[in-house]
Amino acid sequence: MLKTKENTIYEEALSRGISRREFLKMCTALAATMGLTYNDTGKVAHAMETSKRVPVIWLEFQSCSGCSESFIRSTHPKIESVLFEMISLEYSEVLSAASGHQIEDAMSHVVKENAGKYVLVVEGSVPEDEFTTIGGKGAKDILKEAAKGAKMVITYGSCASWGGIPAAKPNPTKSVPITDIVKDKPVILVPGCPPIAEVMTGVIAHVITFGTVPELDQQGRPKAFFRHRIHDKCNRRAYFDAGLFAESFDDIGAKQGYCLYKLGCKGPTTYSACPEMRWNGGTSYPIQSGNPCIGCTERDFWDNGPFFTRRAKIPGTQTTINPDKVGIALTGLTVAGVAAHAGITAVVKKKKNDHGSKEEGES
Amino acid sequence: MSNANNKSLQPNSTFAQGGNSTADSNKELGKVYVWELPVRIFHWVNAVAIVVLMITGIYIGNPFVGSSIPEEAYFSNLMGWARYIHFFTAFVFTAALIYRLYWAYKGNKYAKSNPLKRQFWKDVWQTVKFYLFLPNKKQHTIGHNKLAELSYLIFIGLGSIVMIFTGYYLYFEPQFESKLGGFFSHFGVIFGGDSFTVRSVHHLVAWCFVIFIVIHVYMAFRDDWLTRNGAISSIFTGYKNEKKDTGDEDHKSEGEKSA
Repeated sequence: MLKTKENTIYEEALSRGISRREFLKMCTALAATMGLTYNDTGKVAHAMETSKRVPVIWLEFQSCSGCSESFIRSTHPKIESVLFEMISLEYSEVLSAASGHQIEDAMSHVVKENAGKYVLVVEGSVPEDEFTTIGGKGAKDILKEAAKGAKMVITYGSCASWGGIPAAKPNPTKSVPITDIVKDKPVILVPGCPPIAEVMTGVIAHVITFGTVPELDQQGRPKAFFRHRIHDKCNRRAYFDAGLFAESFDDIGAKQGYCLYKLGCKGPTTYSACPEMRWNGGTSYPIQSGNPCIGCTERDFWDNGPFFTRRAKIPGTQTTINPDKVGIALTGLTVAGVAAHAGITAVVKKKKNDHGSKEEGES
Repeated sequence: MSNANNKSLQPNSTFAQGGNSTADSNKELGKVYVWELPVRIFHWVNAVAIVVLMITGIYIGNPFVGSSIPEEAYFSNLMGWARYIHFFTAFVFTAALIYRLYWAYKGNKYAKSNPLKRQFWKDVWQTVKFYLFLPNKKQHTIGHNKLAELSYLIFIGLGSIVMIFTGYYLYFEPQFESKLGGFFSHFGVIFGGDSFTVRSVHHLVAWCFVIFIVIHVYMAFRDDWLTRNGAISSIFTGYKNEKKDTGDEDHKSEGEKSA
């Protein structure tokens, strides 16, 4: 892609006819999205005034493009301001107008020219080469080459972050998450199936504003968006505490808006900004609209049992069971075993007693 | 003790215990102080705590009762109470376990166990054979037999530690930013790393406790039934009926001292 002069983000915005006032509004919204305080708006504005658009390479491997689809539905910041002002999307299979050799050449050009400056975004998990080959190159090689010069790597979606659906049992393509291949670069995991659009742009915004990796939790997800458990911010939480649960999707409880815990809601084990930021510009999110959370931001969510049943996973396996049913069955077996043992004990004791009394008689 | 002699007398008896079951039944029964008060308090606090934790825990995992009439969340707090009781009992459970660990250091010889000794595992093996009605050389013990000690180390020791660490991980999930929450959040990695797996471990190990209780209660009654040593009453009173001249000297002196 040809570039004449590199403008700052602010200049880029002005050239598109955005007023200073609108620009500051955008910065304020951005700060809020990133989870910063109002006082930090100045920092964001300053960063936008001084920093240039960040070159981004967006790679796609085993994915459904759902993350790209989610990304382009960002409302604050608006996707056009992200694409035209904040980032310079150099390579994307979904959004690029160019294709074929042209775009592949452009990518290798960017990798060379902007070494150490560009942000690598990855969507989808990385399988064995025979399952994903783009432009004659295997997925692993493409990723390694692109990651070499990257400033940092952002993995969008559960597939890129944990392996996701392609890596679910039995993982026929032997796909792995990005972190299994890229080990020497900071990796920001933004899981979700797909992640919320504003979370995706929010992470990019943080990278532009501060030029650093945002604060991450233990599993490598940005704390700004994955700090809270859905359960703790849920709009149906009051019903949970009250012990009021919908038993099926069409009962009176479901109509009343009761807690969906018994319908397999994974909210209690899922960390995501869904209840706070919600989807489609803050309209709603699954639990609000009556569907239990499926826990899509969590590791191996596809293997954590059926979506609408509460289960426990046997650690180290991909097997889920109903712990109470199995527990009761095992307890029953134990009771039966104990009863049998008691029976044998009684028989043996009787024998011994007979034997003993005979002995006594003899002596 | 006439171990070999004994065997030749009762070739079929699988209850034959090396030190104890001599044919001589004229030895006087006496009281031996086995379970000190702290041990007994721990036992019952722990027992009650486990039962309460299990009932509330099953409810939290699968709320089996609830309001039968549709109502607003305002009027009841059933899950809230179940969780509150569960958490409160969990703290009691933890405190009791720490107290018991201290008593393993401070208490009498029956309150201690050392699985690092070779003899411990030999005794475990003999006790396993004893319970399988096989010929064995199980030594009579006034306190626990070694298999029992092993089961306590596994279930009440290790099991409790797993439950405590997974439990506090779950408890602190809304407050990982706090100091204690941060501390316990690190242990998530040991138990699978993500919330769902930690929760699963908590559920599964809980049922191990139920299975342990079944076996433990049976074994205690069985021991009492077979040897008439007052095993059941001993956990209330602390005293067991043992033949005065069995066991070694310091059992006797200890028993007499406290008596």
